[in-house]
Amino acid sequence: MLDNLIHAALIMTTPILLAALGGLINRTGGIVNIGLDSMMLFGAMTALIVAADNGSWLLALAVAGGTGAFIGGLMSLVITRLKANEIIVGLGFSIVATGLARFILKSTYGVSGTLRLPDVTRLPVIDIPGVADVPVLGAMLSGHNVLTWFAWGMVPAAAWFLVRTRAGLRLRATGAGEKAARSLGLRPLAIRDASTLFAGFMAGLAGAYLSIGLVGIFNEGITAGRGFIALAAFYFGRNHPVMTALGALLFGFFDALQIRLQGRGFPPELVQTLPYVMVIVILAMLAWSAKKRNGART
Amino acid sequence: MATTALASALGTTTAAQAADAPVALIIAQGGLGDQSYNDLANAGFERGVEAAGLTGRAVESKDVVAQASDILRRASDAGFGLILDLEYSHAQPIAEVAKDYPDTTFAIVNTVAEGDNIVSALFEEQQGSYLAGMLAALVTTQDSIEGINADPIIGVIGGSKSVGIDKFIAGYIQGAHDANPEVQVKVAYSNNFADPSLGQQMANAMFESGADIVYQVAGGTGIGVIQAAEQSGHFAIGVDGDQDGLAKGHVLTSMIKRTDVAVENIVKAYADGTLKGGSVLGFGLAEDGVGLSPMTYTKDLIPAEFLAQVDAAKAGIIAGDIKVWNVVDQGYPDWMQ
Repeated sequence: MLDNLIHAALIMTTPILLAALGGLINRTGGIVNIGLDSMMLFGAMTALIVAADNGSWLLALAVAGGTGAFIGGLMSLVITRLKANEIIVGLGFSIVATGLARFILKSTYGVSGTLRLPDVTRLPVIDIPGVADVPVLGAMLSGHNVLTWFAWGMVPAAAWFLVRTRAGLRLRATGAGEKAARSLGLRPLAIRDASTLFAGFMAGLAGAYLSIGLVGIFNEGITAGRGFIALAAFYFGRNHPVMTALGALLFGFFDALQIRLQGRGFPPELVQTLPYVMVIVILAMLAWSAKKRNGART
Repeated sequence: MATTALASALGTTTAAQAADAPVALIIAQGGLGDQSYNDLANAGFERGVEAAGLTGRAVESKDVVAQASDILRRASDAGFGLILDLEYSHAQPIAEVAKDYPDTTFAIVNTVAEGDNIVSALFEEQQGSYLAGMLAALVTTQDSIEGINADPIIGVIGGSKSVGIDKFIAGYIQGAHDANPEVQVKVAYSNNFADPSLGQQMANAMFESGADIVYQVAGGTGIGVIQAAEQSGHFAIGVDGDQDGLAKGHVLTSMIKRTDVAVENIVKAYADGTLKGGSVLGFGLAEDGVGLSPMTYTKDLIPAEFLAQVDAAKAGIIAGDIKVWNVVDQGYPDWMQ
């Protein structure tokens, strides 16, 4: 029971974590990416289409990430060059993406809602012999697919990038003070665009995880708002990769938990709000403890 | 018109008037090409129109829900004699529009609309679900079948906690308990009809806790349930259309709603002049409006006596010996709160 819960929690965490890390880098550079969900949706669709046409999951991931990055690039240009409001543009992209996905399904495949394709190559699952049978540890480490490993690998990588590299420093400088960054000879708009490309890439991978990692089909509702939950995760983490991962894990855990609490006498409508309620509770507790600490200092 | 008025004025009974005005079918959300509800209904529509020698047209609109009244008025003005509406959310608008077009007959599927010239068609989904539950309860202890364990546990995943969905679930539970009172039925709701990965996770959680057959009543989310059954080597039960082919050998059966049968019958009744405005037509097992799929890929796995028992139950329901609980009409039974 516990093993299953841990395993399911990690599965539900992966897409949120991938998109949240992308959004975190994007926000550090100064753009709040509301359009993550649209990039996730198209990543999911293109991954399935490519994975059905040939046997390479790596190519499918590359195309999914590339599609996400392309949409991210478009969105970024509208924001950085045309000075459009990032919230409105991001929401616009999410709405347009849903309509466009529906149109493509209908015009190209003659279906609506769900797209099933024959012989979809799925993401490989890594089973670790020996560890797989160890309680708890096996559920945590074994039986996850390549993207889950990649997502968790990106957590320290992102932390290292932001703190230890020149590019990370420049990204932070761009986000913190555009004019100051420019006075140092940096090109803040280009840096911002690059950070959105990365966010799009990560969101595209998150979509691929849903379509060719988990279910092997595409549905126009497949993201189920996970791009927006990713947004909550990096806000929760205050742009720190480890805390953001913790936020994503909280959502994943309570999502897996609510599925298992149903049918044990708890009303389903209430149980389903659990992930969201818990995040609000934890955010409030964090803010309260931070306030208390600050209060003690002054 | 004049002759009818005269005939009724004279008080003579006239033979049912055969109608020959063209008929329209208003396509619901999702549109044609959905490989389920709309396509199925349209197939029945075309059969009915052809059999009756009428002309018929399918009406598609990109904003079926918001423009309900417009679509209905335009169709009424275009001179259709029968306007058959597949969109569930049109119950209110159709009742308003129908008042302004007393010479046109309207029909709506899956819901009831009030009006002297409106025919409502309802499916007795609880009856088909009863058979699905019975079959699942019989099979779930048959551990000689690969993917089935000895535990008497089955599951059902609904798309939302509502009477429309619980109608299926109550029938399923009743059928399961009538087959084997020891069977435990796990019930869960996804609260989302289009998230297959959630459906997959929910089904996996049920499989982990000993269930081996899970009935899905959750649209696109339910496709994830079928995927989970295929990937874990267990069984799902499909809904609405024949979903047995989605994961060959892992969909035990599908509870089929024959929207095509309902639409075809309504068109034919209209052509014969036997369609009565203000009536509610029920399509259950007796009318072939609901039922189990032919089980193309699983028939050979299931012991013949189980299939015979399900057939006997079907006959019992049609004869009225078995009453299946209808949550929409009767509210919730004691055994399901």
